[in-house]
This record gives sequence, structure tokens and C-alpha cells, in this order.
Amino acid sequence: MFKDITLGQFFPGNSFIHRLDPRTKILCIIVYIAIIFCIKTFAGYGLLAVFTVACILISKIPFSFVLKGVKPILFFAALTAVFNLFLTDGKVLWSWKFLKITYEGANLAVFMVLRLFFLVLGTSLLTLTTSPIALTDGIERLLSPFKKIGVPAHELAMMMTIALRFVPTLLEETEKIIKAQTARGADFESGNLISRAKAMIPILIPLFISAFRRADDLAVAMECRCYRGGENRTRLYTLKMGVKDFVCWIIIILFTAGIVVTNMFF
Amino acid sequence: MVKLHDVSYTYMSGGPFEKTAVKGINLELKRGEFVGLIGHTGSGKSTLVQLIAGLTKPTAGTIEVDGKTLFKKGTDMRKLRFGIGLVMQYPEYQLFEETVFKDIAFGPSNMGLSSEEITRRVHFAADLVGIRREILEKSPFELSGGQKRRVAVAGVLAMEPKLLILDEPAAGLDPAGRDEILHKIRDMHRRLGITVVLVSHSMEDIAGLADRIVVMNKGTVAMTGKPVEVFKSAEELKKMGLSVPQITEVCNRLREAGVPIPDGLYTVESAKAELEKLLKNEMR
Repeated sequence: MFKDITLGQFFPGNSFIHRLDPRTKILCIIVYIAIIFCIKTFAGYGLLAVFTVACILISKIPFSFVLKGVKPILFFAALTAVFNLFLTDGKVLWSWKFLKITYEGANLAVFMVLRLFFLVLGTSLLTLTTSPIALTDGIERLLSPFKKIGVPAHELAMMMTIALRFVPTLLEETEKIIKAQTARGADFESGNLISRAKAMIPILIPLFISAFRRADDLAVAMECRCYRGGENRTRLYTLKMGVKDFVCWIIIILFTAGIVVTNMFF
Repeated sequence: MVKLHDVSYTYMSGGPFEKTAVKGINLELKRGEFVGLIGHTGSGKSTLVQLIAGLTKPTAGTIEVDGKTLFKKGTDMRKLRFGIGLVMQYPEYQLFEETVFKDIAFGPSNMGLSSEEITRRVHFAADLVGIRREILEKSPFELSGGQKRRVAVAGVLAMEPKLLILDEPAAGLDPAGRDEILHKIRDMHRRLGITVVLVSHSMEDIAGLADRIVVMNKGTVAMTGKPVEVFKSAEELKKMGLSVPQITEVCNRLREAGVPIPDGLYTVESAKAELEKLLKNEMR
């Protein structure tokens, strides 16, 4: 049941996007997110859609797989749309008793849904094409200039690596515990809210215990290999920007220019 | 008692990590039988027993337990699961209650039994696995690994299942703990007359216990039969990354070297008896 979660999952491949330097990809995503929130016209969203679809095609990840990541936010998007639709003041288009829809509200609702949609699509494309290790490497390198003002870049990256590394492990563990308790006749589906919350105890306690045990084991294992943080640590693979990253930057700059044009002229 | 018809199961179907764990399994388990399920790591043993226990829905095929088809409309899965006890790998990690007693009582209380019946069953199960009464009031987290394992097994036995499945119950135990738990399982099978499926990757564990051995390889049933029959194909087993019991290997080598020792010995005791007989004849 948990195996269907795509958000944060890596889809191995060897496409142009897969081979980009993680730093390039992270910075591009930041630009992409900024763009999503700057777009003011539907023409802009059209351009964004074309760009996003092109990226997915280049990455060679099946559309259905990318779209699976959007599913969990559908409810959230619908809720946002409803709030924006009914609670925005402006030119009234339709009203019934206390409910009213305004032109501005309808506009905002559509924009909000589009923004959320592209936000999740873009970020899941990042995690789908970048292995967790490459991702944290990239973050570490991007943060390293801030070490001078006391940002523990290496430690942060290490924490993220470990957290990401253990997401699938803990999911697997949870599934195993759920199965074990189901086999002992545990019932997670029926009953009211309180009894359902109580039914979670036989899952949560073993899960917490195993998480602590794993943390302990990992700490000992790291200690045994004399791990001691970032200072003077060298790496097996160093990140290098190449021609493909340069190409990517040019594309992003052109894309940003395109968005600026749509904002100004449409 | 259990019938599997063309059962297949695929993990994460459609994704990049798609993996078929078992495919096209046809198998029947008879009432009161002691079946040893054996296979190399990743041969699909664990997936198969989870399918039989009704914990995962097969991607294709049907499973019948006691005449009822699993996951069919109108089948009360929860009630059906009460009759199937599954001890998963490393079951000690599922303990959660404050006391050993409460933990063993988790299954029976889910079944909605009276408190007297629950107490009776907890004591019964604790006796079966050899947990002393004073331990029942302790926290399960204070116990040693072997004791935790026994508590977890007792938690399943307390449901008094008609079909008991044990997935690598001896994994990670020392030799003494391993022998003890395997003996306990044999006792239970004899005393309660229930159907037992014992999963293992070690022939040694299964050889002296099982009436019938099912060998899994790459998600399919590769061989099935009485231990004697299965151990005859030592070469094929080796190709699957399995081995015959050490003592059978010794006897096979002896026979190759010209010692007239009979076929089909797979316990140390029977081999010892045969060898003694041979030696006595030699003396004469």
C-alpha cells in the first residue's frame, strides 16, 4: 500500500536530465518555482506546461508515473480552489444566499490549482531524476559558502541523506508490522475515530522501537568507521559542471525570458 | 485444507522496480500435514506464506482455505485469518504491550473471547513454548532475544490456529535456541494435530521434521515430495543454491567410496544406527 508513493522516489535512468549536475537541477527548480509564482497570464501557463511536458519527455519517465505523484495533493488543491472561489471579493458573477462567486475569485482558484499542480510536478521531476545521494551532495555544495557564517552544511546534508535513506526502510518495516498484527487479528478499518486511533498503537510502538534501534546501530557503525563530520573530508565522486549544465542554464534563461514576455504583452 | 491455484504475485507492478515474487503456483496442503517450505533467499517463500495467510492479495490465481476463497466478495477475511497463525520473520519486533501476558493475549482478545478463555489460552501457549509464569508479568522489552522470540510465537499460538505457518523461526538464534524452538514446533504438531508449514533455507532444520518438502526456486515450485525423495536429487538442489543435510552428503560420499550404506538417510541418528550395523558386520 505504501509502495505507491512516488513523491521523493528515484526513477533510475540515463537521460539528459538524469545526467545533469544536481546543483544545476536544484537551482533550476528554485528558478522554476519562482517562475510559477510570477506568472500572471494563461499564456504564461501555456508556456510553462510546454516546458514541463518537454522536460518529462526528455527524462523518459512515463507520464503516468509522474502524475501518480500529483494524486496525493488533489484533495488539497480542490480545497484551495473552493476557498479561493467563494471567499474572494470583487466583481460578482453568481450568487446564492451567502455564497458568491466573483470574477477575481474564479481567476485565483484556477491559478492556485495550476500553481500547486506544476509545483508538485516540477519538484517530483527533480527527485525522480536525481538519486537521494546526488541530491544531498548538491545541497551540501550549494550550502558550503554559508559555512563561514556558521551553517553546518555537511551535517545538514548528512542528516538529510540518512533521513532519505531510511524512508523506504521504515515504510517496509511499517508494512511488515501491519501484516504481523493483521495476522494476529488486529482490526484497523472498523470502529469510530478513537478505537481506530487505538488500533494504531500496536503498529506505532514496534515502529518507534525499531527506529531507535536502527539509529543506535547506525551511530555505532559510523563511530566504528571513525566518522567525524565535514572538516577535511574528501569524496570519491566530486561534482563537476559540464557542457550539458551550460546548455541547461541557457534553456532556463530563455524560458524565463519567455515568461517575462508573456507577463508584459498578453 | 489449503489449495493454491495458479497463484502469482508481482510487487510494484508497472513501476521501474517491478518484481514477480511468485508465479503460477499450484499447491495443496492437507490437514494435519507438516510441510517444510524450502528455498534460497529471494525464492519467494515469504511472499508465498503471506499469500496463504491472506495478508496479501494475489495478482493472479485463487487461494482456497477451508473451502473459502480468499479475497472473494462475501469472505470474512478477518474471521478466516483467526484460523491461520503466521509467525513472521523476526517476530520479536512486533511485541508492543506492557506485559508479556497482555502481548500474548492480543490475538485472543481480538477474537472477542471471554477473559477466562483468554487467560486459559495465554497460559496454554506460554506452557507450549516454555515461558514460566513469573515472566508473564514482565515487560517484553526486558527479555532476552530468544525469550522475546518465544513470546512472539506464543502470541500466535494463543489464537489456537488450525494452520500454523512459521517463517524462519530459528533465524538469528544460537544452535541451542534453534534446536529448542524446532523441537517445540514438532511437539506442538504432534500434540495439537494442526497443519504446520515451516519455512527455512536450511535443509538441516527441516529434514527430521517435515512429512513433505516443497522446494521453491525463482518464484516457482521446483520439487515436492517426501524428504527421502527430495534429497535424492542432491545435484539439482545444489544448482538452486540449496544443499542436502550434511549427514546425507556424508552418506552419499561414503557410498561413492564403496561403503554399502543405504540410501535416504537424513538424520544423524538413523545414519549412526546404519553405520554401527555396518561396523559390526565388518568385525565379524
